[in-house]
Amino acid sequence: MATSSTKGYDRVANVFDFLRGGDMKRWCAPQTRLFENMNGKVLYVGAGTGQEIVNFPPGLNITAIDLSLKMLEKARPRAEAYNGKINLEIMDAHRLAFPDNSFDTVVTVCVFCTVTDPVHGLEEIKRVLKPDGKLLMFEHVMSRNPLYGLILKMMSLFTVALEGTHLDRNTVSNIRKAGFAVEKEQNAYLDIVKAITANPN
Amino acid sequence: MNFKIIDPLIGAGSGAAIATLVYFILPGDWNMIPCMIAGGLSGMGIAFFLTLLLMPFFGAFEVMIPLHIIGMITGMMVGMALTLGSTPTFCLTTLGGLTGITVAIIIYFSNKKHLSPMRNSPTNPL
Repeated sequence: MATSSTKGYDRVANVFDFLRGGDMKRWCAPQTRLFENMNGKVLYVGAGTGQEIVNFPPGLNITAIDLSLKMLEKARPRAEAYNGKINLEIMDAHRLAFPDNSFDTVVTVCVFCTVTDPVHGLEEIKRVLKPDGKLLMFEHVMSRNPLYGLILKMMSLFTVALEGTHLDRNTVSNIRKAGFAVEKEQNAYLDIVKAITANPN
Repeated sequence: MNFKIIDPLIGAGSGAAIATLVYFILPGDWNMIPCMIAGGLSGMGIAFFLTLLLMPFFGAFEVMIPLHIIGMITGMMVGMALTLGSTPTFCLTTLGGLTGITVAIIIYFSNKKHLSPMRNSPTNPL
């Protein structure tokens, strides 16, 4: 049964690439640097329309999941053009249908601002990630600067109502709450957009 | 796309547009403090709509943060200027444009500081 959030993502699927166009122009270089660490069997959580696939290194075996069928339909041409293997599946980040210790790398891009229960979602990722695996996240988080923080709080009122995106989440703290150790936290824009590397130990 | 050039241009254009719109929205016969507050709020409201318009082309956060600051500062300055008597519109538009460029440049250097290797060290508590 389609949930309200699934319907929401289905609704924006047609305009999603247009809305994220500016971000993709800005974030290509830091994403490519982060994704250089991808290896082995990869889980790509919240693939959306797969805009980041162009920044993935070639030759990987990737399972890409998303809640929305319409988003995955948009991602299919990008997955087929990828120089490697990408398998697209409909799945909720809160309930991953994979056995424990299945993946060497898990990748997320601007996903944990929208996941309903971020700590639970990250705990699920920890379960399916091998003990020596890596979590690579490219996410926006709440700023520590009070002025930037105020702007993010105000805009969050609007984005939560529109598409369920929280601009004021402390994702780095959520990663630690889920039991991960944060290895590296690299700013991509101010202290708001970050490339994060974490391990499950 | 060279964002080093585009960002100050977006700042200048937005600052000028916000200054002009606030000038036409606010009545000139208020006291300075209420007019300044109303100007700041109106400026941020206009910045919100400009953000929605520009973010698909130039990035969400890179537009949202500077534009709201430009909106607040420009709106407050125009609000104050309105209470000081007749200021020509082009002066306020120029003031808005210059504010926009200044904020864009300050944020550029603030961003550069955040991207520095020192800031991104694993031991850095910030």
